[in-house]
Amino acid sequence: MNHDIILIILAMAVVTYGARALPFLLFRNKNMGGFLKSFVELVPVALLAALVIPEFFVTAENSLSFFNPFLLAGISTFLFARKIPNLFLCVLFGMLAYWCFDKIV
Amino acid sequence: MQKGFMYGLKQSIPIGIGYAPVALTFGILAIQNGLTVMESGLMSILVFAGASQFIAIQLIGQGATAWIIGLTTLIVNLRHIVMSFSMLRFFSKIGLGKLATIAHGITDESFVLSSNILQGVLTPEERSRVALGINSGAYFSWVLFSFVGAYIGNRLVINFSGFDFALLALFIVLTVSTVKKDNLPVYILAGLLAIILKLLLPGKWYLLISVIAAAAVGSLMIKKNTKDIVEEEKSYES
Repeated sequence: MNHDIILIILAMAVVTYGARALPFLLFRNKNMGGFLKSFVELVPVALLAALVIPEFFVTAENSLSFFNPFLLAGISTFLFARKIPNLFLCVLFGMLAYWCFDKIV
Repeated sequence: MQKGFMYGLKQSIPIGIGYAPVALTFGILAIQNGLTVMESGLMSILVFAGASQFIAIQLIGQGATAWIIGLTTLIVNLRHIVMSFSMLRFFSKIGLGKLATIAHGITDESFVLSSNILQGVLTPEERSRVALGINSGAYFSWVLFSFVGAYIGNRLVINFSGFDFALLALFIVLTVSTVKKDNLPVYILAGLLAIILKLLLPGKWYLLISVIAAAAVGSLMIKKNTKDIVEEEKSYES
């Protein structure tokens, strides 16, 4: 194996693991209250939105779009998930729905 | 019923499916950018962070130094601090060794899934096992398919575009069970900010900034609301 590449991988591993482990190390067993408590509870829902919504409206070419296979498959999967709340089935349905819309649109 | 490692592992299957084609692509591109099969796999084992790995192999192909790539990786992966910080609330009194293992498996996907599932798990001990199961399933898929992708190189072409949607479908299902009336404003705010920032900023900055801004505004609003209620109650008393 190439030494430079090993060094690069190690550098990446250190900074990435650092970002993941530092809060555990610093704030373990500390009580959070008030603002911080509601902040950390809102992070998942905010991240969910930030991961999903831009995929529907921003294309790979970085322009706004209101009609594309991602949005159409997204709406279908959303409706399907409301009827059938099964993680695995919904993912399967979503993949098929996207595949269809990608063929058509 | 006690929930443990296997329960988490089972829940991670959709993530595993979603990671497979992405990891395959990573392996293929890593080989094209001059990495060996072992190096490609090693990067997935030690780093386990998709976006930064794709950027890194591109930079390696261009001959960038370890410093540049390390710094870029740090910037791309800074958002993990916020996720770990948020996950801590599930693991009070869990030992550092176990936390250190859980930490390595935190990704956008495993974090969002864990945050959703761990709310229904009673004790911190069980939660830590379920989280380990979720992270392990995601990790296994990522590492395995990175190796496979690097090994087969360009010899295989998968022509099912549905894989492009697997992770997004997972997020949509989680949206249905996570978003409630009281956190809907935060969801909408984060989504709008993310659209705008993704159009304006390079890389993954839009994730970190929109999440922090929306969660902060949301918790400020909660604080204000509870204050209003307290004041209302006070005015009733007097």
